[in-house]
Amino acid sequence: MTAIRISGGRVHDPANNVDGEIRDLCLQDGKVVSEVGPDARRIDARGMVVMAGGVDIHAHIAGPKVNAARKLSPDERRDHPVNRSEGLRSGTGGLVPSTFTTGYRYSLLGYTTVVEAAAPPLAARHVLSELRDTPMIDKAFLILMGNNQVLFKLIRQSGGAVSSQLRDAIAWWLEATGGYGVKLVNPGGIELWKQENGNVTSLDDEVTGFEVTPRQILDAIAGAVDELGLPHPVHIHANNLGVPGNADTTLETMRTVSGRQAHFAHLQFHSYGGKPEGLPRSRASDLIEYLAAHPEITADVGQVMFGPAVTMTADGPVSAVLRDLGADKWINHDTEVETGCGIVPYRYRSGNYVHALQWGIGLELFLLGQNPWQVMLSTDHPNGGSFLSYPKLIRLLMDRAFREDQMARANQRAIQRTALTDGLDREYTLNEIAIITRAGPARRLGLREKGHLGIGADADVTIYHDRADREEMFATPRYVIKAGEVVVEEGELRRSPDGLLLSSRAGFDPEVSRVLEPLFGERYTVAFEHYPVREAALREPAQVVEAQRS
Amino acid sequence: MPEFGPITCAGCGLLCDDVLVDAADDAVRLTPDCDLGAQWFSERLLRPAGAPSATIDGKPVDVGSALTRAAELLRGARRPLLHGFEHATVEDARAAVALADRLGAVIATDDGEWAGAPAVPLRGASTATLGEIRDRARVVVIWREDPESTHPRLLERLGIGGGVERTLVVVDDSDTATAGRAEVRLGWPPGRDLEALTTLHALQRGLTVRAGELELPLSGLLKRLRAVPHVAFVYGAGLTAGAGGQRRALALHELVRALCHERHAVTLELPGAPGTRSADDVLAWQSGYGGNVDFASGHPELVTATQPLDDVDVTLLVEPGSAGAAEIALGSLAAGPGVEVWIRTAAAGVDGGGTAHRLDGVPLALQAPLPGEAPSAAAVLTRLLAEVER
Repeated sequence: MTAIRISGGRVHDPANNVDGEIRDLCLQDGKVVSEVGPDARRIDARGMVVMAGGVDIHAHIAGPKVNAARKLSPDERRDHPVNRSEGLRSGTGGLVPSTFTTGYRYSLLGYTTVVEAAAPPLAARHVLSELRDTPMIDKAFLILMGNNQVLFKLIRQSGGAVSSQLRDAIAWWLEATGGYGVKLVNPGGIELWKQENGNVTSLDDEVTGFEVTPRQILDAIAGAVDELGLPHPVHIHANNLGVPGNADTTLETMRTVSGRQAHFAHLQFHSYGGKPEGLPRSRASDLIEYLAAHPEITADVGQVMFGPAVTMTADGPVSAVLRDLGADKWINHDTEVETGCGIVPYRYRSGNYVHALQWGIGLELFLLGQNPWQVMLSTDHPNGGSFLSYPKLIRLLMDRAFREDQMARANQRAIQRTALTDGLDREYTLNEIAIITRAGPARRLGLREKGHLGIGADADVTIYHDRADREEMFATPRYVIKAGEVVVEEGELRRSPDGLLLSSRAGFDPEVSRVLEPLFGERYTVAFEHYPVREAALREPAQVVEAQRS
Repeated sequence: MPEFGPITCAGCGLLCDDVLVDAADDAVRLTPDCDLGAQWFSERLLRPAGAPSATIDGKPVDVGSALTRAAELLRGARRPLLHGFEHATVEDARAAVALADRLGAVIATDDGEWAGAPAVPLRGASTATLGEIRDRARVVVIWREDPESTHPRLLERLGIGGGVERTLVVVDDSDTATAGRAEVRLGWPPGRDLEALTTLHALQRGLTVRAGELELPLSGLLKRLRAVPHVAFVYGAGLTAGAGGQRRALALHELVRALCHERHAVTLELPGAPGTRSADDVLAWQSGYGGNVDFASGHPELVTATQPLDDVDVTLLVEPGSAGAAEIALGSLAAGPGVEVWIRTAAAGVDGGGTAHRLDGVPLALQAPLPGEAPSAAAVLTRLLAEVER
């Protein structure tokens, strides 16, 4: 494998307390090393900015819901053809790109690791097949467990406490699917949606037929994940997404999991004041205040960007609300035992009060927080907008004048109800951008060899021209290096490596199968013995991150 | 031949994975009993000994010679078409789309009449896996399909007749086996399906409708649907094939969407062949489009049902359900008389493995209980791509 010396670049590596130092970076055999020989390829990075490859902690790029969205919107991709070329596959772009194009475009943006944030475990083979066709990046997926009837039964049996059976069942499920972490989406609410269009509105509503509450589900599964020592803590999409006043639910959810590590997804969608039937207002400051006092909690923002989006979520009742707001297209899909799914193409309009408020709340979360390690960049792609809008979002954070210009174009009634007009003049530094786009997500994912450039780190590196226009700078890296190979140069793909599947593994008592098998037999239409993914072709090449039980 | 199982049966889109196969004698028997599945296994387990691994113009050749000839045909083609996929796996489809991309070919994942999918991009759909319908639907409406013949264990797998209070409604004016099991039968000519669906939709919205003799049965059906919290519609080519099929499919999805406001309502589509769902899903994730896609311009373009493919000059059949005319065919069954190049492939689920997507989208492993020498279609297609690129 080629050895590379990146010479004279300005390095931003916050995980190693390197903030803009001019230094050389050496890569060999896919890793950052202290020195390389004289024959190493030299990349002249003088005047350029060097960071670790980007790490997206929360996006939707693969699996049945993503593919259903592709089928739903052929018109949306007709204008985004991608031609085949030497060594590269053709495809389509747009908000929900085809798989090869997804890998190419993330790589062209300087990202080298992406997490698919919501996969039905039953669909693991489908998710893995798509990820196999998503080149250039390392990828992981989180399995949906917040509405799993089998886990409901175990939680009820333990009276809501963490039990060894629950721990073992979660570890079994990760092993069975190749998943990386555990995702809870609207705990309990989706089960009620599938029963008869119901939902939960508080953490203490009972899930009909199962005698558990969202609070018990959160408490037990967050506790089990914590005790298992999985590399990534429980990843929570809280109840009442999008509902005015939901900040109370979010705060109560945070209190419920207190003392345990937890990551809150797309916090912007959960930061609303007001009354459910009324207009929302911002409660971003309350959420940020809570985070400041609770370092065990992190979040990604789920920034909305004005323009088209595709909402896709396991939270079926949320999609039904969007449907009833006049959506032309709507998909609902119910997955037995485990979860639901809703898809609605959507457009965020700058003149719309609610959309402008959502946009403003996202920026508030970024700008009010004092600890960038806690608040990470995401648009909940493609829910708040495409991952291709990350460069513009970075410019909004780094360039106050640009931000104020954009604010002036948005619904002023909404903007005035945020802290953005209240002297919030912060501008992110390059080091802070490096934290929210790679160092922070990698650390939160427990990927010790990613998100930084210390000796032994993965040789995933992005080199940018240091342009005053930060959007332009982050949209077109000068070089992207994946696992020690230059894969992008000046906006051109040079090669297309497969990338690794990242899985996690926690030990469990195999006797848990005796508990699970009869429960599977009662509920699933797939045999217990055929549920686990054993096909090597779907699970390799992989890197397994071991849990570290305390 | 031994008994084996439980394994996954790829005889229809249900992909039942609890099947025990008894092939001890000349006949194949399955447990649970399924004539269609037994026939499928039988055709693949009881193949004549000494069958060639490949042929050119019906004469046995080695696989390498067949690949060389197939590559020549494809390289010389102005407008190649890859189709079939009735028994394709996800892996077969991945390799096929890669080849189509390289060739600039057209790829068609459904050789039959369009089965409703084109309606989905217009407004979407509400769908569910088998277990959801089994556990929740209290009224199941089967619209002009006969799963007792095409998907013999569907009713069992949806829990119909399983003791739970559930009403099976069949809309069909033919005396099918499925209609014979209905608690409620409604029948009118197929040409009135659109009228029936739009009338139901209008009635659901509270509009006054004059529908002649349909009015009474439709009002009765709507009353049943409104009396329960969860309903399911099963449909397929019986509703959506032929002229106006897209409008009929759209009308069904609009009706279901309207019903969803007050109760949970879902649909389940029966595909024409077991491999259709897998191939369509793969094509969608690799190209961005389901259905039929043309790569001639260097990128994928959706081919609509109305666009003729009369300029196709070389066809490549991938895992067809029966012998058909084509220049090239890759399949586990013997080639038809019109095939110039045929390469025998392993039957996924018998002598080859792979992954397949059930009709409701659930992905399952296909085991290879009797692994043999024949390569998978995926392996042949990959070699063919290399040969084309040589």
